[in-house]
Amino acid sequence: MPFESTFPFTAIVGQDRMKRALLLNAIDPMIGGVLIRGERGTAKSTAVRALARLLPDYDAVDGCPYRCDPAEPPRFCDECRRRSATAPLPVTRLPMRIVELPINASEDRLVGSIDIEVAVRSGTRRFQPGVLAEANRNLLYVDEVNLLDDHLVDVLLDAAAMGVNVVEREGISVAHPAHFILVGTMNPEEGELRPQLLDRFGLCVDVGSLTDIDDRLKIIALEDQFFRDPAGLRASALPAEAGLREQLILARRRLGQVSLPVPIRTLIARLCLDGYVAGHRADLVVAHTARALSALRGAIAVELDDVLAALDLALSHRRRDAPGDRQAQFQEVAVRAAEQLAQIQAEASLPQAQAADGDSPISQAGVGGDSSQGWTAAEPQLTKPSDLSEPEPDTVIQLATFPVKKLDLPRERLIRRAAGKRTSTKSQNKRGRYVRSAQVEKVTDVAFDATVRAAAPHQPGRRQALPLAANRLQLEPRDLRQKVRERKTGNLIVFVVDASASMDAEQRMIATKGAILSLLRHAYVRRDKVALVAFSGRNARVVLRPTSSVDLAERRLERLSIGGTTPLTHGLLTSLKLIKTERLRDPQVYPLLVLISDGRGNISLFGEEPLLEAQRMAAQVKAESVRAMVIDSTRDFGSQPGHPKSRVTSLYGAYAFNVCADLAQRLGGRYYGLFDLSQNAIVDTVRSEMLRKDSA
Amino acid sequence: MERYVYPFSAIVGQDKMKLALVLNAVHPAIGGVLIRGEKGTGKSTAVRALARLLPEQTVVADCTYHCDPDAPEAMCSDCRDRLARGEKLPRARRRMRVVELPINASEDRVVGAIDIESAIKSGERRFEPGVLAEANRNILYVDEVNLLDDHLVDVLLDAAAMGVNVVEREGISIWHPARFILVGTMNPEEGDLRPQLLDRFGLTVDVEGIKDIGQRVQIVERREEWEADPSGFGERYREEDAEIGQRIADAIVRFPRVVMPSPILRALAELNVSLQVDGHRADLVGRKAAQALAAYHGIPEVGVPQINEVADMVLAHRVKGGGRRELGDLGQALGGVSRASR
Repeated sequence: MPFESTFPFTAIVGQDRMKRALLLNAIDPMIGGVLIRGERGTAKSTAVRALARLLPDYDAVDGCPYRCDPAEPPRFCDECRRRSATAPLPVTRLPMRIVELPINASEDRLVGSIDIEVAVRSGTRRFQPGVLAEANRNLLYVDEVNLLDDHLVDVLLDAAAMGVNVVEREGISVAHPAHFILVGTMNPEEGELRPQLLDRFGLCVDVGSLTDIDDRLKIIALEDQFFRDPAGLRASALPAEAGLREQLILARRRLGQVSLPVPIRTLIARLCLDGYVAGHRADLVVAHTARALSALRGAIAVELDDVLAALDLALSHRRRDAPGDRQAQFQEVAVRAAEQLAQIQAEASLPQAQAADGDSPISQAGVGGDSSQGWTAAEPQLTKPSDLSEPEPDTVIQLATFPVKKLDLPRERLIRRAAGKRTSTKSQNKRGRYVRSAQVEKVTDVAFDATVRAAAPHQPGRRQALPLAANRLQLEPRDLRQKVRERKTGNLIVFVVDASASMDAEQRMIATKGAILSLLRHAYVRRDKVALVAFSGRNARVVLRPTSSVDLAERRLERLSIGGTTPLTHGLLTSLKLIKTERLRDPQVYPLLVLISDGRGNISLFGEEPLLEAQRMAAQVKAESVRAMVIDSTRDFGSQPGHPKSRVTSLYGAYAFNVCADLAQRLGGRYYGLFDLSQNAIVDTVRSEMLRKDSA
Repeated sequence: MERYVYPFSAIVGQDKMKLALVLNAVHPAIGGVLIRGEKGTGKSTAVRALARLLPEQTVVADCTYHCDPDAPEAMCSDCRDRLARGEKLPRARRRMRVVELPINASEDRVVGAIDIESAIKSGERRFEPGVLAEANRNILYVDEVNLLDDHLVDVLLDAAAMGVNVVEREGISIWHPARFILVGTMNPEEGDLRPQLLDRFGLTVDVEGIKDIGQRVQIVERREEWEADPSGFGERYREEDAEIGQRIADAIVRFPRVVMPSPILRALAELNVSLQVDGHRADLVGRKAAQALAAYHGIPEVGVPQINEVADMVLAHRVKGGGRRELGDLGQALGGVSRASR
């Protein structure tokens, strides 16, 4: 990567937290990387790439593909271990690098695989190191890290947790060290990060745009200058860059001498405990960060301010309470931390508290007193680190009545579910991302690289058997590998809404509208689409074509008016047509039809009894294997299992027979009442209907 | 492969769209344009027609990525190596091209993949460049960009962010420059664009069907003429097209000398802050677009009219809350611009 031609780090205006987090990692790799979250156009990627020129050099074993550290034999790769047994290892000086993992990477390049060239020519299995090998002792950068394939994330997490990359594939068996600083950038609008991966990042900073006009003008001017004369700008920034680099190297050297006084250590433990952070990683990260901060300052011991600054960087993504006003929280923490430190020091001066080294249990009184006040405003009960596996505090909004405005859904939980396997399906039709290869009986989509790799080691043998074709690659059926593709299939939720006059009663339409909007708000992150068909008067119309546009849907929904008769059959027919069309465009689409009506169809489409027509149409929908559910807008009971559904006293005497339940049965879907569902419940119900696909 | 292309100057109306395209041709760093509108409003026609007006550029004659021999900064590793060895890079002139990215493209064709032939024949691991390689220093055109498969959008974002395509797949590990002008069209009724991708477009224009009966008749007439005799039709507009092409070429020369008064720049930044625009790209693009406009009109100094003219193209897709609705306020905000600059 041509990192030398990037914008100079020191010329980046503002964004001090981000810059500091990056620099601290360069000083102490043990901090564990940084995640930079922020809206578009805030110099996230620019800063990371610019860091490349500031990174320090390190000693490495000459000729080792993993650049093992000569000073750290426990972390040697097999080869270095073997070599070091016989003779001292040659040492060379290498610059620390930024290794980039593009999100389109395939698994074989991430972990490494057999070297095709060598294998085909000589038939020997040689390991071609992948990105993880290159990342050892370097900085691994993933841009748009939240878009990284689940599968690659798994591999990455595995390696990051163990510090070792174990490769067992294509007859290759290698394990090599993979210690790297993980740096990721992401735009939260594009979806959240898996919690596992989130925790892997030592620090996390949120960046926003600068609002100071002078800063903004400075940015415009610099960008212009960089465009016209990049080399010139870099040259003018050179003294500052060199100075900063020198500072980093000095700090790195000093790092070992910076002491972490016992009271400070205790303070860190207490603050992390108070911050309701999961696991112990936070303590370590804060300690390392604080130490790096003091090293950067040129101090010899960590002080309170370092701890505070470290907390600020290390805890924001680990806290499980609602983020509030950061500035105010920080002030509060600062005050409390100072108090605690004084308290700790006072305790330490007492003879019986001498044993207060870093990992001794904190005195009972101290814990009790602290947690009741808690340095954040969250519930003090949540102080146990083991709380991670337990469900989060109840953030579900109570829904005794209908909130008409858009709903605030339990976001975290929702996204986690969406990020699960549900949305990504193994694609059968050669569409989607090629993530890895597999050996299958009947190969339809040849994974070419994998096939060659599988065949390569056998070439010398086969060439001997068939000397005429000595120069060609000889493939046999058993070499063939299939491409395993993964693609996010969008769900399509088609609401078929009764807009007849009867929907006017008791805010039924308002409830329905609210539910659709809530679903839509999450449709973007989950890549779902929503369509809306309304029927009233003498026909049905597609009010909203399948879309993930919240804006558009909102406007269409607002305009949806009520009145007239109930052409139920028309509604079902129109939505079926819509689903069929959408299937033509994308055969993988997964439709769910949600009928919201009182079921009192009273307009005939084919000239028959409206009710019979609707029933027949429902059967047809089922025959097209469209998943469906019916929400009865007249009922506030009936959704409980075991409730007599087929014959209940209806609000409308004319239909003692429960039309909606009957329709639901014919559609092969479930039956719910609108009012006992409430808005959130509708959303949850639809979601659980979608999830049923997995078990199906 | 010279296909008949409908002449740019023969397109009736849609001045905003044409202007946005021209501005990008004047200064590619503006970062492309997203054209939003209904079907049949001349979106694709205009983009394809633009190709013929684009200026010529100097390239390394035998480089896959059409590197600029005068810009070592943006060169591929191959050209860098050759330059470092003291080789003289062969030069050639060529016209900028419109490279299309079909929405059903497979990922390996977009980013490039292992060269199957050489792998089979000799077991050699070679890179076969994809659309992104072709798009370097060209226009990358995505019709119906909002329907682009998600994983392709990811790839596109990755490349557009830094102008580099990094490939780590199928045993291949390579990077090459991929700086392109991104031009996309979309019909908003079929769904939104992901915000991250939206921001990559420097400008946005919304096009509508023309309401004026006279113009509509003119459109149909011209289309018929063109279909009946494309070469003769092209001939008739050759001069006008050439004139626009010349103006663009002149504007490119003028662009660096156009003065950007600092009060105007300040007003622009203030406007963006007050509208709570995400990020800083609006500032940067706004300046470039206004400057390109002044250069195109032969005005030596950017003034309020230029800012006014480009403001909604720059801001329409960046203002929070989905765009259009708040542009009502933009009128007032721009009043502020004029006052501030006085």
